[in-house]
Amino acid sequence: MVNLMSGRLRPLTIALLAVSLLASCRGREEETAPQPPAQAEAPRRGGTVVLAWGAEPGGVNELITPATQITAEIADRLFLRLLEEQPDFAEHPPTFAPLLAKSYEWSGDHKTITFHLREDVVWSDGVPITAEDVRWTWQAQVHPDIVWDNAHMKQEIRDVEVVDPHTVRFHFNRVYAKQLLDVNEGGVLPKHVWGQIPFSKWRESGDWFKEHLVVSGGFTVASWTPQQEIVLVRNPRYFRKDRPYLDRAVMRVTPDAGSAITQVLNGEVDFIAQVPPSEAPRIKADPDLNLITYWSNLWVAAFWNNARPPFDDPEVRRALTLAIDRQAIVDTILGEYGRIGTTPIITAVWAHDRTIQPWPYDPAEARRILAAKGWKDTDGDGVLERNGKPFTFELTTNAGNQPRNDAVVMIQNQLKKVGVQATPRVLEFNTLVEETNSGEFDATVTGFTLDTSLDLTGNFHSRSIADGSNIMRYTNPEVDRLLEQIAGQTDPEGARPLFGRLQEILHRDQPVTFLWESQRLSPINKRIQDAKPNVLRSFFNLEDWWIKPQTP
Amino acid sequence: MISFLLRRLAASLLLLFLVLTLTFFLVHAAPGDPTNLVENNRMTREQRESLRRLYGLDRPLGEQYLVWLKAVARGDWGVSFSQQRPVTTAIADALPATLLLSFAALVIDYGVGLLLGVAAARRRGTATDHGIRFASLLLYSQPPFWLGLMAILLFAYLWPVLPAGGMHSIDADLMSPAGRLLDLLRHLLLPALVLGFSNTGLTTRFVRGSLLDVMGQDYLRTARAKGLSERRVIWVHGLRNAINPVIQLFALSLPALLSGSLITEVVFAWPGIGRLIFQAVLSRDYPLVLGVTAFSATIVILGNLLADVLHAAADPRVRDA
Repeated sequence: MVNLMSGRLRPLTIALLAVSLLASCRGREEETAPQPPAQAEAPRRGGTVVLAWGAEPGGVNELITPATQITAEIADRLFLRLLEEQPDFAEHPPTFAPLLAKSYEWSGDHKTITFHLREDVVWSDGVPITAEDVRWTWQAQVHPDIVWDNAHMKQEIRDVEVVDPHTVRFHFNRVYAKQLLDVNEGGVLPKHVWGQIPFSKWRESGDWFKEHLVVSGGFTVASWTPQQEIVLVRNPRYFRKDRPYLDRAVMRVTPDAGSAITQVLNGEVDFIAQVPPSEAPRIKADPDLNLITYWSNLWVAAFWNNARPPFDDPEVRRALTLAIDRQAIVDTILGEYGRIGTTPIITAVWAHDRTIQPWPYDPAEARRILAAKGWKDTDGDGVLERNGKPFTFELTTNAGNQPRNDAVVMIQNQLKKVGVQATPRVLEFNTLVEETNSGEFDATVTGFTLDTSLDLTGNFHSRSIADGSNIMRYTNPEVDRLLEQIAGQTDPEGARPLFGRLQEILHRDQPVTFLWESQRLSPINKRIQDAKPNVLRSFFNLEDWWIKPQTP
Repeated sequence: MISFLLRRLAASLLLLFLVLTLTFFLVHAAPGDPTNLVENNRMTREQRESLRRLYGLDRPLGEQYLVWLKAVARGDWGVSFSQQRPVTTAIADALPATLLLSFAALVIDYGVGLLLGVAAARRRGTATDHGIRFASLLLYSQPPFWLGLMAILLFAYLWPVLPAGGMHSIDADLMSPAGRLLDLLRHLLLPALVLGFSNTGLTTRFVRGSLLDVMGQDYLRTARAKGLSERRVIWVHGLRNAINPVIQLFALSLPALLSGSLITEVVFAWPGIGRLIFQAVLSRDYPLVLGVTAFSATIVILGNLLADVLHAAADPRVRDA
């Protein structure tokens, strides 16, 4: 649930200490932005890049490991999906480029999709990839003994039919918006090898899968040293014969963010997926590094427990929003790399409603609303009361996330000015998750990422209180209805007005106070060319990366 | 001596059992859930329940404990939730790195501690003594993660002579065997120094203290009177008698070494047991947490047992007590 980043600009030593306490960043984010200048030279083959990541991937078989970002990053380099989702969702829903499938078509009723697989694609052991692999992969994805994290994305797929070795057909129970996203989730796995062990043994066979790895993607694993590094090398049987350009990509596990930054600065590491904004000046000042930035899909907010008074009143929640100087928070914590959030449909996606303006910072209006609601400082202690009860609450966030730790303190100070007393409490991540999921909290500062399906059912539908991430316990029948309509709408233009209405209501009701949207900052050594990390994948086009020879 | 050994062994086994039982219930009582670990978890409740069933977490805690205890009695430590591999394999993979780091740190800890402790005792009350006391207290009061970060800042960034982390260079597999060894030592140096120096303050104070205790003894005066050099008096006759408390300290420093290596390994990306349990705790990987705890507890208990035995061998009053 929580994405981790780091703090504000301080002297070097303090910054190093601060970032060391933070885990690495693993959220899914979106939209590419400024790139290094275009290269006139032709790409060259050869060389090694070193990538640093804070956590180790769960293994080579993504079906049996927690769905972390790094596990997916590596899995996507090893196993081809049917299609490749493109990061082009600023103006319209994302498009899909052919990958293992060269084409696809929908049936007239949009309940069946037929994929035509490339015929020139083989596994790294030379065995052709066929429709049987696709069908068997789906069987594994939904198998009860495997319990894949993303199995719910396949729940509307009724059957997968092998038409011929290179044609496969997916049958859906119903028509809905994200059918293509769901069908494309997960790489196609090698039935002829991994089918050798029964599904019931999969969850204890992490090492076996590493030892019996055959791949279809551009890279395969040359060595995997637990807690240290994963050496990816070119798959010689990759169907794009001239790729990857790189000989090797070494993924170095670097749990300490401070030492990862040191390593990219001293040239030991070529690329880090995300560094805190406070590190931007150092990265920019380094003549050997470029800083790639793009908007993240993370929205961070103060989540009020809508089931607990006084947060059950939308007007009180709006007063709290008015009392929080969000621009000051953004300026302090993110500087030029952030902006105020207005809705969970972040600014960088096609469905964002640009007509919505953020609520201003207006403590006078906040006091007026609270007074109208009966909140008065009767005993002159600076804290508002109603019926003898002071307006005090606990504001939690997770440890190790400096921006959020800073934000809760700033919010505490700002609310104090309107007579509301927030007490910050910083919790270990798992503890915070348990408290928020069980509803045992007043308010919490946390963040969620928006995936490209733009499906907010998990956060704002009333049924997601019991089973999902509606941690603020927000209920609004019209929002429920809109979310259901959006989920069933396959035409984006038909969905746009629904998204508009949804955002309007959320802006009005303020179930949460949207705090900020932020950019991802990826430092990369200038010798690396054509890297296009994006919010979906940091190693998005690793097959196209190449190394410019050093000029003596 | 045999009955002393048996008694100590039985007490050690009981202690190990208690540690494991306590850890079992503590780790299960910690808030959080191994099926709900990922940011933005979009698993459904039904999926999470299936996973809990698969892990056996749906059964009553007492039953889980008995099942686990029976398995452990058979030598089966289970499969790690987060790594999908046997706990014993995960530990075996991480062990050499921790052994190497701990050994190097111990050499530095006791090497430097003995030298400084003896120097401080010999020059008691002088500027040297005060200087050493200041330095050792300063080192002892620095948390290892801070020392680690400062070491990285100084030696890997401002004056980049040593690598900031990891156990070997990216191109180590292309090096000659001697080159690989040198590369390993370069990577080992900073974490070993940090871990060694963070403990050596205490060792120094201890050596100085116990040496001062024996300095005024008659046999040392006799040794000096026999015309032995001061160096020989101190290092051979003095230290041999002052070493008993230091042996005790050695056993007692094992937990500090293990917990220190946890932090040091995380800061320096050193792939050992410390980092393994760090990750295991964060991901509520119960079998792995229990496996590593059992392993660490065994080391600590064995260390203490060894110290008791050595102490008893050196001092008959102990074993007869």
